Amino acid sequence: MAYYAIKGGEEAIKNSLDFYGDLISDADKLDDKEVIEGLTFAIDRVMGEGSLYSKKLAAAAIKRSAGDLLNASFFLRAHRSSCQRIGIAKSVDVNEMRLSRRISSAFKDIEGGQLLGPSNDYEIKLLVDLKKEDVSIEDYGTDDNVIKSALTPLREDGLIKVLAKENEPWDITRNYPHAPYPRTAVLQVMSRAETGSILAVGYTTMRGYGDVHPTIGDLRIGEMDIKFTHPFTKNEVKIGEIEATAVECVGTFNTDSDGDTKLTTGFGFCFGKNETKAISMSIIDLSLYNSSYSVGGEHIIAADFEMIMHHLDGIESFGMTNHFKLPHYVTFQTDYQIFKSAQKYADDKKVNEGAC
Amino acid sequence: MRYAFLDEEAKKEIRRSILKAIAIPGYIVAFASRELPVARGWGTGGLQITLAIINEEDTLKVIDQGCDGSVNAVNIRNFIGSVTDVNTTTDTNEATIIQTRHRVPEIELQEGQTLVYQVPIPDILETVEPNLGKAKLLHANADYSKLWVLLYEDTSQFGDSRISNRYPVMVNHRYAMDPSPIPKYDTTKLHNNKALQLFGAGREKKIYAIPPYTDVKPLKFEDREFKVENFEGKVCERCGSSECFLDEVYDDAGEVHYYCNDTDFCDVELKKKGAK
Repeated sequence: MAYYAIKGGEEAIKNSLDFYGDLISDADKLDDKEVIEGLTFAIDRVMGEGSLYSKKLAAAAIKRSAGDLLNASFFLRAHRSSCQRIGIAKSVDVNEMRLSRRISSAFKDIEGGQLLGPSNDYEIKLLVDLKKEDVSIEDYGTDDNVIKSALTPLREDGLIKVLAKENEPWDITRNYPHAPYPRTAVLQVMSRAETGSILAVGYTTMRGYGDVHPTIGDLRIGEMDIKFTHPFTKNEVKIGEIEATAVECVGTFNTDSDGDTKLTTGFGFCFGKNETKAISMSIIDLSLYNSSYSVGGEHIIAADFEMIMHHLDGIESFGMTNHFKLPHYVTFQTDYQIFKSAQKYADDKKVNEGAC
Repeated sequence: MRYAFLDEEAKKEIRRSILKAIAIPGYIVAFASRELPVARGWGTGGLQITLAIINEEDTLKVIDQGCDGSVNAVNIRNFIGSVTDVNTTTDTNEATIIQTRHRVPEIELQEGQTLVYQVPIPDILETVEPNLGKAKLLHANADYSKLWVLLYEDTSQFGDSRISNRYPVMVNHRYAMDPSPIPKYDTTKLHNNKALQLFGAGREKKIYAIPPYTDVKPLKFEDREFKVENFEGKVCERCGSSECFLDEVYDDAGEVHYYCNDTDFCDVELKKKGAK
């Protein structure tokens, strides 16, 4: 009976989940440590987009979704909702990062030097191995590398435009703002953004939709301590470390309303090692707050706050896109009926006009 | 797992947003909107409302496109059941909370019942003004001229609005509101409804409400009739009713059949016939 075929959702779901369980069952055999260490970039991406810094949970999420990283981030976000908030940690300063990598393309040489660290930038992308030449490889240093941003001298000389500081940072997970959006909220949205989405929007600025001339002033990856005021002793205690990527890009200059002519900058920050995302974010930040500096003109997607605030979240865009798989037969029936009557109206009108 | 999944702070925030929404019928209230283990766009707004208001004494009904047995309804009902242990039902009369995806039950709702709508696009102005900041200003000024122009253009070209579902309504003579993608057939049921109607949009992070006995009118020109879906005298093959929204179902032989879309209504009608 067709009627009962529609009603049989319960069994259909159970079967579908069972089949899916079979499909992904091999993922469960992977060792957590192997996933964390072997797929370090996947782990970092999922922690950033899932907005929860836990390599262990990220590994579990990647296994649960058999490598579908959007789905893995979704697992982390859902888990995050079930966690009670204990308090708010102290702000971190990226200048205090223990660096594993720090480069600047704005200067040939900088204080502390160009520190390439582990990077695949100059890897030749061939799946077969090239003949290796013998070179002596340096060991990792054991000292902490703590170096201020390469833009610090310019900032200290007052050459860089400084945006107004907000007294309290906004928290988009507790209160989503209306326009005009506070910068802290905009930065949070971008820091949790889906990497591919933010890359695409950042890329629009590079070819005609708002040319803000970015140069990477400082790109850094490293670890930072997370400090928290102990609820009982009231002492400041270190509760853990996070690895993060931070980028400051430098844009072009313009004369402000107060007559000052300054250089502009944009900031990007995300959990783990994700340079593509942090660079894209810094360019969009630059674009949003300096759109009048652009030589690009109209329709600058990366300078449109509505565009940025509502379209970069992977959990949201992926959920909505997939919802089209849900039954829509009532909706479609209404579309179909209105189409038929409009078609009849148009046809009748044609006949009547022909008769005149 | 916490009762009703969400932490108490989140529930409190949602309840406050609901109260504000009830106080200003049709006005869109922003809320934080937590991520749930169900995907955005799959009813997370309605779900957060239900989770924030439900308690042990409630009886829950969930429908998806009119049907209790449809996949999304099953999934949501099972999830709420697993985190609250409330009684669930398919019986419209028995339910205290009905979460719905895009239908208003055929059986008239009563005082004390709450109908929770899942909403994909909370702001009716989005069709004509995608910038939320500008749309908020238009609402504040009750400036719905862009909607009227859209309605006029459609009427002049096609004889009627091209909006087939989520047809705009005016709530309490003040706010133009998106009633969620319900068919036009259901639009008139919003008016003077005895039940509390709550609307939740999870992805868009908005809540709005229609309190019981509120004036709700579809947006239309005074000299134009508000036309709803018409099934041209077709009747449900199962219960024989024609006083309801019908589904068109094709069987394996390619023949079309008509059945009640609201499966609980169909069961009730069938029972009535059996009793005679």
